[in-house]
Amino acid sequence: MRNILIIARRDLRAHFNSPVAYVVLGGTMLLLGYLFFIAPHMAVSGTSVGGFWEIDRATMDQMFTYLPVLMSLFVIPAVTMRSLAAEKGSGTLELLITMPVKDSEVILGKYLAACGMVLVLLAATLLYPIAMFKWPWQLGSLDWGPVFSGYLGCLFLGGAAVGVGLMFSSLTESDVVAFFLTTGTFAILYALGWLASTVHGTFGDAVDFISFQARYQSFARGLIDTRALIYFASVTVVCLLVSFRSLESRRWS
Amino acid sequence: MSNDVMIYANDLSKSFGSFRALDKINFEVKRGEIVGFLGPNGAGKSTTMRILTTFIAPTAGFARVNGHDVFDEPLKVRESLGYLPQRAPLYLEMSVLEYLRFAGDLRHLDPDTFRKRAKSVVEVCGLAQVLGKEIRHLSHGYRQRVGLAQALIHDPPILILDEPTSDLDPNEKAEFLDYLKQIGEERTVLLSTHNLAEVETSCARAIIVSTGRIVADGPLDEIRAKSGRVRYVVSIQESAGDRPYRGRGSLPKRGEVEDALGKVEGVKKLTETPTDDSAHAFEVVSEKEQDLRPDIFQLVADKGWVLLELHRDQQTLEDVFRSLTIGDERRNRQLTPAASEDDEDEDEDDEEDDADSAASMSPEERAAKADRS
Repeated sequence: MRNILIIARRDLRAHFNSPVAYVVLGGTMLLLGYLFFIAPHMAVSGTSVGGFWEIDRATMDQMFTYLPVLMSLFVIPAVTMRSLAAEKGSGTLELLITMPVKDSEVILGKYLAACGMVLVLLAATLLYPIAMFKWPWQLGSLDWGPVFSGYLGCLFLGGAAVGVGLMFSSLTESDVVAFFLTTGTFAILYALGWLASTVHGTFGDAVDFISFQARYQSFARGLIDTRALIYFASVTVVCLLVSFRSLESRRWS
Repeated sequence: MSNDVMIYANDLSKSFGSFRALDKINFEVKRGEIVGFLGPNGAGKSTTMRILTTFIAPTAGFARVNGHDVFDEPLKVRESLGYLPQRAPLYLEMSVLEYLRFAGDLRHLDPDTFRKRAKSVVEVCGLAQVLGKEIRHLSHGYRQRVGLAQALIHDPPILILDEPTSDLDPNEKAEFLDYLKQIGEERTVLLSTHNLAEVETSCARAIIVSTGRIVADGPLDEIRAKSGRVRYVVSIQESAGDRPYRGRGSLPKRGEVEDALGKVEGVKKLTETPTDDSAHAFEVVSEKEQDLRPDIFQLVADKGWVLLELHRDQQTLEDVFRSLTIGDERRNRQLTPAASEDDEDEDEDDEEDDADSAASMSPEERAAKADRS
């Protein structure tokens, strides 16, 4: 346990010691601001509405629509590509692994550090509801229930997405390849999700089942769906196991 | 296996796919020994070290480090090791002190011990000036020192260093070898390199590997003696130029000198080495343990020639290394197994060329040479 925390702390510091974290987090916040206030968008319900100012309602709907997309398409791939792929490429992993640490501790430490970055991003977005509906402005009375459930959903989705990113990171030695594998996987999942909302029948159901987006939607609406929590947790566990095996496989190759 | 054996490898083999990187390597390193692990690039040095440090597992055979099996007790093995991989892969965005602290944390050193150890390794490795600097801003030499410092932070009984001097300039190299002697006094050190001069200055024993096999293992003197040949360089004045000739009689001809030297007892092989017109220079190879210098000198004196140069050339480690590992290149160039027959033919041709050039070689000598190869 102690080793996990030591590795996680080092990784987290490394993220903030390099410009990548700032560029990715800053860029994501800018993009989120644009999408939240200005861009016309499809609400979670599927109907086309305007930006935050146009719909004239005290809701964080827009944020919870875009946040998971931004997280899984940019932030998480950029963070997890450094976790293992970059370390394998530069050889630092060899030095880390030959310290008296277990492979599982390395994986969990890296996982925790990447989750830490997700937490930082989520904490930064807390500014939106707090600044607009608590202090210094009170733009209306916000229903905090969906905000809470939305964040919970983001957390679980983020955890699973970090798992997926870490898995790809463990399978390659190039951070660029790891980044695009992760981003590509989520892009395909989202694309399928949108497709599935127009297609019914077995195919639609199947896509709905694996789609992160479909699982997440109920959270944005204020529902805590335990099936989705279990789904995200299972994806996380499976991905961590694959990463662990993949790291271990260096010994046999 | 006695208590003093710190590293023990038994029939260690490793294959990557169909490529056999290590083929049944056996060796042991005792407490307090500094052993040079030598071989050309791709001979299996790093692979062996990665197995010993538990980074990869052997395909067959086993190894023990400090009495622990590298496969069954990897954590115990890692605890007793300090390891510096090739090119010192460190986290570039950390400062030197941060890095050492990270290594100390993972080694579970308490703050007091860490302070004490850090002080000592910083001193030994000469890092006081750069402690606060980010590693990315350090030269390769300093990175190498940081790598060594992290390997020493927990005061391990065994150090495994993979080409620790490959990126250093000559000054840094000399300094590094000095550190190595200091820290190697009470430690077991396995040091890989392809630079033989380093081994000569810092190690008493060497293990030479070539294409995954150990070709020599023992004290440096023994390895040097392995080829069992001593070379003499003799040059006799051929032309005096404008100045009067100081010898007796007329200036000697090439054939005369060659015949006379060939008749000296104990000469095994005689080759003329190219020079300008002023001298006949010959390289004389003799059997070991027999100093030919008095005989050669006497011969020259009797003939009344002018001796310009006579010295004995101990076989250097470099020569031994080359003769032990030279086959690698040839094998590398061989594309298919079917080519091996042709290759052997070629070898024979080579030998015949050799024999022709050494005109004085007797049939027995020729047979002896064939035996060796």
